[in-house]
Amino acid sequence: MDQDTFVRMKDITKTFPGVVANDDVSMSLRRGEIHGLLGENGAGKSTLMKILYGLYSADKGEIWFDGERLQMESPQDAIDTGIGMVHQHFKLIPRLSVSKNIVLGKREPATVFTRTEGSEEGVLSTLTNTRLMQWLASRFTLGLDEPRQKIQQLSDDYGFDLDVTAPVWELGVGERQRVEILKALYRDVELLILDEPTAVLTPTQADRLFETLRRLADKGLTVIIITHKLDELKQVTDRVTVLRDGKNIGTVETNEQTPGDLAHMMVGRDVLFDIDKDDIESGKTVLNLSALHVENDRGIEAVSGVDMSIKAGEIVGLAGVSGNGQKELAESLVGVRGTTAGSIRVTSKDVTNEPCRTFIDNGVSFVPEDRHQNGCAATLSAMHNAVMKRYRDSAFGERFQLNYEAMEAYAETLVEEFDVRGINDVQEVTAGELSGGNLQKLILAREMLREPKLLVANQPTRGVDVGAIEFIRERLLKQRKSGTGILLISEDLNEIFDLSDRILVIYEGEIVHETTPESADRQRISLEMNGGEQAQPLASVAADGGWSDI
Amino acid sequence: MELNIELTPRTDIPNWLIYLTPVFTVVAALFVSGIALIALGVNPLQAYNTMFIQTVTTPFGITNTLEKGVPLIFAGLAVYLPLKAKLWNIGAEGQLVVGAIVGTAIGLQVSLPIYALLPLMIVAGGAAGAAWIAIPALLRAKYGINEIITTLLFVFVAQSLLNYVVRGPLRASGANFPQSESLPAAATLPGIPRLGDVPLGLLLAIALVVVTYGIINYTRLGYEITFIGANDSAAEYAGMSKLKVYLIVLMAGGAMAGFAGVSELSGVQGRLRASFDPGYGFTAVPIALLGRNGAFKVMLAALLFAVIFVGGSSIETVFGVPSAITSVIEALIILFLITAEFFKQYRIDVSIDGSYSTSASGSPEGDL
Amino acid sequence: MAGLVSGIANATVNASTVLILAGLGELISERAGVLNLGVEGMMLVGALSGFIATVVTGSYWIGLSVAIAAGGLMALLHAFLCISLNSDQAVSGIMLTLLGTGLTTFFGSTYSGDSISGFPEATVPLIGEYLLEIPILGPALFQSTATDYAALLLVPIVWAFLFRTNIGLELISVGEDPETADTMGVEVFRMRYLAVVIGGCFAGAAGAHLSLAFNQIWSAGMTAGNGWIAVALVIFARWRPSRLLIGAYLFGLLNALALYTQAIDLTLAPESAFASTLNPVIEFVMNPTIMSTYPYLVTLLVLTITVIRAENRQLAQPSALVQSYSREVD
Repeated sequence: MDQDTFVRMKDITKTFPGVVANDDVSMSLRRGEIHGLLGENGAGKSTLMKILYGLYSADKGEIWFDGERLQMESPQDAIDTGIGMVHQHFKLIPRLSVSKNIVLGKREPATVFTRTEGSEEGVLSTLTNTRLMQWLASRFTLGLDEPRQKIQQLSDDYGFDLDVTAPVWELGVGERQRVEILKALYRDVELLILDEPTAVLTPTQADRLFETLRRLADKGLTVIIITHKLDELKQVTDRVTVLRDGKNIGTVETNEQTPGDLAHMMVGRDVLFDIDKDDIESGKTVLNLSALHVENDRGIEAVSGVDMSIKAGEIVGLAGVSGNGQKELAESLVGVRGTTAGSIRVTSKDVTNEPCRTFIDNGVSFVPEDRHQNGCAATLSAMHNAVMKRYRDSAFGERFQLNYEAMEAYAETLVEEFDVRGINDVQEVTAGELSGGNLQKLILAREMLREPKLLVANQPTRGVDVGAIEFIRERLLKQRKSGTGILLISEDLNEIFDLSDRILVIYEGEIVHETTPESADRQRISLEMNGGEQAQPLASVAADGGWSDI
Repeated sequence: MELNIELTPRTDIPNWLIYLTPVFTVVAALFVSGIALIALGVNPLQAYNTMFIQTVTTPFGITNTLEKGVPLIFAGLAVYLPLKAKLWNIGAEGQLVVGAIVGTAIGLQVSLPIYALLPLMIVAGGAAGAAWIAIPALLRAKYGINEIITTLLFVFVAQSLLNYVVRGPLRASGANFPQSESLPAAATLPGIPRLGDVPLGLLLAIALVVVTYGIINYTRLGYEITFIGANDSAAEYAGMSKLKVYLIVLMAGGAMAGFAGVSELSGVQGRLRASFDPGYGFTAVPIALLGRNGAFKVMLAALLFAVIFVGGSSIETVFGVPSAITSVIEALIILFLITAEFFKQYRIDVSIDGSYSTSASGSPEGDL
Repeated sequence: MAGLVSGIANATVNASTVLILAGLGELISERAGVLNLGVEGMMLVGALSGFIATVVTGSYWIGLSVAIAAGGLMALLHAFLCISLNSDQAVSGIMLTLLGTGLTTFFGSTYSGDSISGFPEATVPLIGEYLLEIPILGPALFQSTATDYAALLLVPIVWAFLFRTNIGLELISVGEDPETADTMGVEVFRMRYLAVVIGGCFAGAAGAHLSLAFNQIWSAGMTAGNGWIAVALVIFARWRPSRLLIGAYLFGLLNALALYTQAIDLTLAPESAFASTLNPVIEFVMNPTIMSTYPYLVTLLVLTITVIRAENRQLAQPSALVQSYSREVD
C-alpha cells in the first residue's frame, strides 16, 4: 500500500435489485488532497460515497482508514471514525442558531461540568467527575459557551465570516453550506465528503468555497468532491476518479487532463441503438419561449433567459444533468410555476403566468418526473386517474354530471391501447397497485390520447422496466408522427439521441448548446452538460422562432 | 428463541379488513365499556340489552332513535364532506349551535304558517352555520392556517354566544332557568302521520344523504373533491382549484351543521336551553370516520349512535347509571377505529426463530 | 375602588394558575411537534383521581401525585397512538377528551358530595410577611396554595428546561425538523414520548389544583373549558413560556373582569349624545358571557396575524407540529 494512502476503498461491490451500482470499485486517497469523483448519473458515485459514509453497507469489499479496517453500520459510526459528509440538501434547523445546530446531538455539558483531567483535585471537580453527575450534566445542562468559542474560532480560522450566534434562517445559501462544513469540522473529521456542493451556489460563492477547501486541505484535511462540473474539477481538485457504469475507469492527476479528456473518460465509446425514425416535415410552431426566467422554491433563479421553439411533429430533446433548471422549466411550461420574466406562447397564444387549467385547455400535456407525487392519486382507481386531464370535457357528462360509463370506457381504451398490465377492472384497481412501468404507461396514455399540441415529458422512462421503456419510446415517436410537438427532458443521452430531431443542452438554467443527432459529437454534448471549456450560452433565437444549426 | 415483529406498509387493503373494521371497533368498544359497567355493579349484558334491543324493538324507542338520528345525520355529513377533501371540520359543534340560535330567533319572532316558517328556519340555520365557518374556511383556503384550531376556537365562541342569548335576548319571561320560550307548533318539525309518525326531519336528512352521495359520486365537483383529498399536488397538475374546492366543501359542511342545529332544536328539544349543546359536533367525528367510505354509511353510523344515545338515557333510568357511559362508548369507538387504521396500513409479520409466516395479501412487482 | 382592584387582582391570579399549569404542559408537547387536544380530558381525570385519592388517604400530597400520574398515563396512550401508530393527532386528542369527560362523569357521581380538606393557603416562607405588604399585588399573589406557587415557579423552570438544557434543545429540534434531528443522533421517538407524557402530567396537576386547592370539591365537568383555553393560550403565547405567563394573566384578567363587570359601569350617561346607540353596544361588550369569548377571539387574531405577517411563514409555529414522523428506510 502506498505510503501516502490515507483512505482506501478496495473492491467495493454493491447491487440493488436489477442493478449493479458499484462493480469492484477501488479508490484510494492521499492525506490532504482534494479528490474529485466524476461520472454521469447512474455511474455509481452517490452509492460509493454513501457506503463510505455509513449509510449503505457494501456487499463485498473493504474500507481502510488510516491503516485500520472499518466496520461501519451507521452514519454515527462514520462520524466517530472521522468521516463527515456535507449533503446537497442541508440538514439544518432554521429556528436555531448556528452553534446550536452544530452542537445538537453531542450533549456537551456546561463548562463547569466538563471533564477535567489531571488538574486540581478539588472537591468540586471530584464531584463533577462522577458518572452520575456527568450523566445528569449532559442532559440537564447546555454546554454552549466553550463550543461557541471553539466554533467561532474555527469559523474565523477558515475565513467563514459567520456569526455563530445568528439563527440559521437569517443566513443565505452559501453561509448555510459553510455551517454544514463547520458541523463536520467541529467533530474533528479527517475526511470530508461534499455532494454536488456548488449546485446551490453562485459562481462567486463557489470560488469562496474552493478557497476554503484549499485552506482546509493545506491543513491536512482530506476532501472528496462529488461533481459533474468539469471546470470546477479543474479549478480545485488534485486528482480525479472517474466512474462509469459502476466501474472505476481510472484515477488521474487533474493538471494532466483537459476537460475533454475527462468527458471522454466519462462517456467511453458507447454504441447507440438504432431506432427507426421516419423523416417528418415539421409544421407550425406549437411552443415559443422568449427570454424566460423562472425562480425555484428558494427564490433563486433556476431558468435564466431561455429561448426555445418547438414545432408540430418534432421532438426536441433537452439534455442536462438533473438540477440545472429542467424541473422549473417544465413546471412553468405546464402552468404550475410562475415566471419572473419572459413569455410563453402555446400555438401563438400567450399563456405566460396563466393558471394550469389554461395550459391544459390549450392542449398542453405533461408527463411529470415524479409520477407518484404529481402524476396520479395513488389511492384512487385507474379510472379516476385516467380521466384526470379530461374530466371537464363534455364527452364525459353534461353540466354538473359525470358520466361514469363513458369514463370507464375511456379508461379501458387507454389501458388497451397502451398495454397497461395488472388491471382487471379499471374501477377496482388503484393507481398505487400498478408497477412503475404500467403506471407510467397509463399516465402516458392519458396525456397522449387527448391529442395534445404540446407534450412535455420529464424523464419518461426513469424507474421503468426494460419492456416498458421500449414501448414508451415507440409511443413518443408515434405521437410525433401524429403532429404533436414534444419536449423530451432526459438524463439518458441514448434516449435523447434516439428520439430527438433536435438536441438542446441545458446548464445552469441556460441553453448552452444546440445540435442534431446526426451532427452531434457525443463527447461535446457530455462536456456541455457538465460545464464545458467555454460554457457560453447561445446567442438568442432568430425572431421568426426558427433555429439554424450551429 | 427470538421473537421478530416486522411491519411492512400495505400496498392494498384486503376486503375482509375493510368490512370487518367497523364491526370490530363497535364490538371492542362495547366490550371495554362493559368493564366500566361492571365496576359500578351493573351487568353489562343486561345493560346492553336495554340499550340496544329494547331501543329498537319498542315503538317509543324507535321513534326516539329516529328523532335523535336526524341531527346526527346532518352533523355526520357536516364532517364527512370536508373530510373527503382531507379537511377536518372539528367546529361542527359551534356551527350547529349557531344554527339553532338563529332558528330559535326566527321561530319565535316570525309568524308564518308552518310550511313557510320551517323552511325559512332551516335555510336560515344553514346560512348561519355556513357563516360561522366562513372565516376559518377562508383562512385555510388562502393562508393554509390549520382548520382544526380555528374551527375549534369558534366552537367556544358559539357556546358562549348561546349562554348569552339564552340569558338575555331570547330569554323566556319569568323562567327560572335560562332558556327560551317553547317554539310554537308552526316552528316544530312534525312527524308524518301517514308514515307512522316518522319525523319529517328524517326525510330531509335522508334527502341530504342522497344529494351528498350524488354529488360525490356523480358530479365533476365530487370528482375534484375526491381527487384533492387523495393527492392535492397532482390535483394542481390537473388544473383543479384547491381554493375553490376547499371553500365550497367547508361552507357546505358549515351549512349542514346548521341544519343539524335547527333539527335538534325544532325536532327534539323544542326550545333553546343553556344546556342545548348535545355534543353532536364531536360525535360527528367518529360518525364520519365510521362512514368514511360513503354517505349512506354515514347515515347508518349516525343511526347507530342515535341508538347508543337513546339507549344511554334508558340505562340511566333503569339502572341508575350515569348516561355519560355513552361518551365513554363513543370515545372507545374512536380509539379502536384509529387503532384499526393502523392495521389497515401496515401488515404485521410475526416470526419466531427467523421463519416468517406471511399473510396472504399479494404485492405487485416493485418499481426499479 | 381599591377593594375592587384587589378583588380583580385576586380573581385574576386564581384563574391563571390552572391555565399556567395546563398551558405549560401543552407548550412542551407542541414544541416537540405533538398537538394534544386531550388536555381537558386529562385535567378532569387528574381532578377526579386526585380527589378520590385524597378522600381515601386523607393526604392531598398523595392526591396530587396520583393526579399527575393519571394525567401522564392518559398522555402515554395519546403518545402511543400518535407517535407509534401514526394516528391523526387531532382525532386522538378529541377522543381522549371525550373519554376523560365520560369516564369522570360516570365514575365521579358517587363523589359529588364529598368534601376534603385540601391545600391550605400558605405564605411564602421567610419573606412571606413582607411580600404581603405589597399593595394590591401582595395579597393577590402571595397568599395562595402550594400549587399556585408551583405554577409560578414552573414557568422559569420550563423555560430553563427548554432553552438551557441539552434535552430541551433536542426536544425543540424534534418539533422543528425530526429528520434533521434524527441525522444528528437525536432519539426522535423518545423525545416525543417524553414531551407528551410530561404534558399530560402537567394537565393532571392542573386538574388536581382545581379539585384540591381552588375548589376543594368534585363536580362533573369542573374544568369548564379551561383545557381548551390552555390550548388557545399556547398559540397566543407563540410557544414561549414567558409569553404564556403573560397570556395566562391576561386571560385570567378577562375572566376576573367578567365576574366583576356588574360593579363597573362604563355606560355613558343617558343624556349624552351617543348614549342610545353606544350604550347597548357597551353593555354587550361588557356582558360577562360575551367576555368569556375574548380569550378565543384574541387567540384567533394573534394566530392569523402571526401567520400572515410572518417574515418566514414557517417560523410561526414549531415547523413539524401535527406532522407524524417515520423514518423512511431506503
